Amino acid sequence: MAERPEDLNLPNAVITRIIKEALPDGVNVSKEARRAISQAASVFVLYATSCANNFAMKAKRKTLNAGDVMSAMEEMEFERFLQPLREALEAYKKGQKGKKEASEQKRKDKEKKSSSTDENDKSRDEEEDEHMDDEQ
Amino acid sequence: MAATESAAPAESELDRGGAEDEPRGAEPEEDAGTGQAGPIAAAQQHRLAKLPLSRIKSLMKADPDVSLASQESVFIIAKATELFVEMIAKDALVYAQQGKRKTLQRKDLDNAIEAIDEFAFLEGTLD
Repeated sequence: MAERPEDLNLPNAVITRIIKEALPDGVNVSKEARRAISQAASVFVLYATSCANNFAMKAKRKTLNAGDVMSAMEEMEFERFLQPLREALEAYKKGQKGKKEASEQKRKDKEKKSSSTDENDKSRDEEEDEHMDDEQ
Repeated sequence: MAATESAAPAESELDRGGAEDEPRGAEPEEDAGTGQAGPIAAAQQHRLAKLPLSRIKSLMKADPDVSLASQESVFIIAKATELFVEMIAKDALVYAQQGKRKTLQRKDLDNAIEAIDEFAFLEGTLD
């Protein structure tokens, strides 16, 4: 069985949680419905990506950016998503900035330590860099 | 019909869902998400997106025309997908309620897809 893009599923537990949080208490979801929603979500990602990529290509860019995704949402008639997406993007950017500043601060602190006369053998090069930073 | 109407199965549904779902190289931390995804999820994205960005990115890269995608774009698509799931679940629920049911079934999804314009792209794509 070839690995089609549609086979790249999103984690079941997360999809289930999103569904449950969207629906009122007391409502259940059959396994088949859950599976179908998960599949639909994967198709959504593929479709949105393709749409967004068209905008990037039109602008002669090789890198798909957030603006392209916003344009795609509009084209796909999901304008209702635009406002919450903009807000989420703001929060995300702030979070990323915070992470960057935190690792900058760490580096500065390390420098301070080594320049002080306190010869700490302990403050070795602990490159416990935030690997989560490169989501790429 | 596997679904039952009582409240309890919520947990077992989650568990069964977790078990049935990992034939491929599982990412156990996501599946341990019967509430236990704490440190890893936080490490991933500060809880701003529920769906794992790595998986979203893999899906995006399945498109041969896509060369590069900014981190932000991956995040936004993850977030949009979350909104999409919420939307389709709620829209399908309307049909379940019309049928006086408290359990969302596959046919409710099909009805929603047929009736709602925004879901037209899904027609013919689901197994």
